Amino acid sequence: MKKKYGLLLAMIVALFMLVVPMSTQHAQAATDDSLEKIQKKGVLVMGTSPDYPPYEFQATVNGKSTVVGMDVKIGKKVAKDLGVKLKIKSMSFDSLLVALQTGKVDMIISGMNPTPARRKNVDFTHTYYQGGYDIVINKTDTAKYKNKDSFSGGTLGAQTGTTQYNAAKKQTKNTSVKGMTSQSDLILALQSHKLDGVAMEKPSAEAYVSNNKQLAMIPSDFNMSSSATSSAIAFRKGSTSLVNKVNVTVDQIKKDKLVKKDYLPAAGKYLKTNTVNTSMGHYWKAFLTGIEYTLIITVCSVFFGFIIGIILALARMAKGGVLKTALRWLATAYVEFIRGTPMMVQVMFVYFGLGLFVNLPALTSGIIAISLNSGAYVAEYIRGGINSVDDGQTEAARSLGMSNGKTMRYVVLPQALKNIWPSLGNEFITLIKDSSIVSIIGVTELIYQSNIVRSDTYRGVAPIVVIMVLYFILTFTASRILNYFERKMQHD
Amino acid sequence: MTKPVIEVEALAKSFGDNEVLKDITEKVEPGQVIVVIGPSGGGKSTFLRCLNLLETPTSGKVAFEGQDLTTLDTKSVNSLREKMGMVFQGFNLFPNMTVLENIKLAPMKVKGTDDAAATKRAHELLQRVGLDDHADAFPTSLSGGQAQRVAIARALAMDPKVMLFDEPTSALDPEMVGEVLNVMQELAKEGMTMVVVTHEMGFAKSVGDRIWFMADGYIQENNTPENFFAHPETERAKDFLSKILM
Ligand SMILES: Nc1ncnc2c1ncn2[C@@H]1O[C@H](COP(=O)(O)OP(=O)(O)O)[C@@H](O)[C@H]1O
Ligand SMILES: [Mg+2]
Repeated sequence: MKKKYGLLLAMIVALFMLVVPMSTQHAQAATDDSLEKIQKKGVLVMGTSPDYPPYEFQATVNGKSTVVGMDVKIGKKVAKDLGVKLKIKSMSFDSLLVALQTGKVDMIISGMNPTPARRKNVDFTHTYYQGGYDIVINKTDTAKYKNKDSFSGGTLGAQTGTTQYNAAKKQTKNTSVKGMTSQSDLILALQSHKLDGVAMEKPSAEAYVSNNKQLAMIPSDFNMSSSATSSAIAFRKGSTSLVNKVNVTVDQIKKDKLVKKDYLPAAGKYLKTNTVNTSMGHYWKAFLTGIEYTLIITVCSVFFGFIIGIILALARMAKGGVLKTALRWLATAYVEFIRGTPMMVQVMFVYFGLGLFVNLPALTSGIIAISLNSGAYVAEYIRGGINSVDDGQTEAARSLGMSNGKTMRYVVLPQALKNIWPSLGNEFITLIKDSSIVSIIGVTELIYQSNIVRSDTYRGVAPIVVIMVLYFILTFTASRILNYFERKMQHD
Repeated sequence: MTKPVIEVEALAKSFGDNEVLKDITEKVEPGQVIVVIGPSGGGKSTFLRCLNLLETPTSGKVAFEGQDLTTLDTKSVNSLREKMGMVFQGFNLFPNMTVLENIKLAPMKVKGTDDAAATKRAHELLQRVGLDDHADAFPTSLSGGQAQRVAIARALAMDPKVMLFDEPTSALDPEMVGEVLNVMQELAKEGMTMVVVTHEMGFAKSVGDRIWFMADGYIQENNTPENFFAHPETERAKDFLSKILM
C-alpha cells in the first residue's frame, strides 16, 4: 500500500497537528456538523494521487486527460449517496494528509491503509477493499522464484516507505531490499536485471503483468495484518456523522462486491485504452500542458519575484531613523531566511500553511511561493547592481534637484539592471528548472505531467528523455532571447 | 545693496575625527565669479558640496538667497538644489542616455516640463556649448571636453541661479581644457554667479572676481585676483603659489 512519508512531511504534519486541533478539530468534535456542511456545500472534494493504477491514474477520456480508477468510482458513489457533486483534486500522495487537515480536500480516497498511526490524525470509514501483495518478476525467471523466500542472495525492490517495503525488509532473509520512489522506476530496474523482483499490490502487479509480456507475477506470502492490506476512505478527525453516513455506502459496496465486479474491470478497460499507444507522440497534449504550466509559473514568478526583489533591495539599503533600520533588519532577515530554507518547504508552507486562512489554488500557491523565493535572490542581485553604479551618478542627479526616489528610479536602477541583466537572466533560467518543485502540490507542470505519462504507459525512461529535451529547448530558447536583449542593451 | 546669493556662516564639517572644514564665513554676491584655489585635500570639494547640501554640514549655516538650507526639510532642499547647478571633475553624465536625454531628464522629471519644450531648450543649450550635432550620441562616444560641455548644458537646463564647478578641467587632456574654460567664460560674461574650484590660474586671473584661498579647513585669504597673485597676504598662500608657479 502507498504509505510514502518523507520525514519532512511528517514534521510539517506534526506542526499542523499542533495548530489544527485547537481550531477546527475540537470545534468539530463538540458540534459535529460535518455531514450537514458537505450537504450544504453540495460538493465533496476528493484528494487523490493519480499515479497508482488501477486505484487511480490519468487516462485520456474523449481526448481529455482525466483521473480514473476504482477509487474514483468509489468516490462517485459516495458523493451520489450523499446527494452532492464530486470534485477530484490531484496531488502527490505525501501531500494528501496535510491537504485533508487544512481543508484543501474533504476526503482522501487514494488506496490509503487505515494504519493505527494514521488513525490518530484522521477518521477512517470501514475498509472498501482488501488487497494483498504480489511480486513481479521477469518472465524468464518463472521457474526460479516461488514467493518472498525464493530471493535469498538476490535483490527485491519496493516503493520506499510503503508497507510492502517494510514487509520485504522484515520478512525476508539474506535478501537485500532496494527502495525507489516510483513504481515505474522499479519495473525498469527489474527489466534491466538490477532487481530480481518487485513487491507491489496485487492490482498494480496485475496491471503491469497484463500490459507487459516480459513480466510475470508470483504470490508474496507476506504475513500481514488486515489493516496494512486494506484501503479505506479518510475524513477529518471528528467527522463522525459524515463517516457513519459514508459507511453505509462502503458496506453496500462490499456486500455487492462492486469493486471486483464492476470497478476493477472498468479501471482495467481504461488501462487498456491507455496503453494501446504508449508512444510519446500520443501524449503530446500532456506534455504541452506541462510546458504551458511550467511557462506560466516561471513567467509569473519572474515578474513578481522581480518586483519583490526591488522592494527588498531598497529596504535592505534603507538608512536613517528607527523605522528604516527596522525595515532594513526585516528585509535582511527575510532574505537570509528564504535563502536558508528549501524551496520545497516554502511551496508546501504557502499551499498548506496559508491555506489555513485563505483557500489558494495550487497554481496560485506555487506562483506565490516561487515569487517569494525568487524575490530574495533577485534582491541580492539588485543590491549588487545598485552598489555597482558609480556614486557620481547619484550626486549628479541629486545636484539637478532630483529626489532620492527619482534618482533611484530614473538614474540608478536602469543602470543597475543593465549591469545585472546576465544574473537576472540566469535566475529566469534557473526558475524554468526549479518550477518543477510545485509538482508536489499537484500543479500540472512538466515533471508532474511526465510522471503521469510514466505511470500511464509503464515506460520509465522515454518520458524522462522527452522532458529533458523539452526543458533544454525551453532554457536554450530563453537564453537566446536574453542574449539578444543583452546585446541590444550594450549598443546603448 | 542686493542680497548675497550664498551666505556661509561658521560652517564646519567633519568626517569622524577628520575636521575638514573648521570655520568658514563668506558671501557670494549676485553675478560674482568666485575662484576657490588651494592644495589638494584642503576641503575644497567638501566645501562646494556643503553649499548645495550634497554633504550635510556638521555645524554652521548655509543660506541661499537668504534662506538657511540647514533647517529645511528634504523636499525643500531638493527644490533649492535645482537652483544650484553643479559640474563635476568626472562629468558624471548618465551613460545609458543620449546627450539630449541627459539634458532633458531633470527638467521633465523634476519640473514637469513637457517633452517638446524640454527638447527645444536642450537643443538651445547644446548650440550654446557648440555640441548640437552630438544630440543623439551616447556619452561614451564623446571626448572629455565634449562630455564636460554637455554636463554644463545639463546643469544649465534647470535654469540655476548659481553654478558650482568642482575642478571641471582636471580630468581633461590639456588640449581640451580651453574649450571648457571658454564656455565657462561665456557664462560669466552673461552674468552667471559662479563658484569655481580650479587649478587653472589663467582662468582665475582673467575671469575671477574674487580668489578664495583655502587650506587646512579655513578660507585663508579672500582677495582680488590681481592682489592675490601679485602680493599674496598669507604665508600659506605664498608657499602655495611658489609651488604651482614654478
Ligand atoms: N565622504 C567622505 N568621507 C570621509 N572623508 C572624506 C569624505 N570626503 C572627503 N573626505 C576627506 O576630506 C578631506 C578633504 O577632501 P576634499 O574636500 O575632497 O579636498 P579637496 O577637494 O580640496 O582636494 C580629505 O582628507 C578627504 O579624505
Ligand atoms: Mg576636490
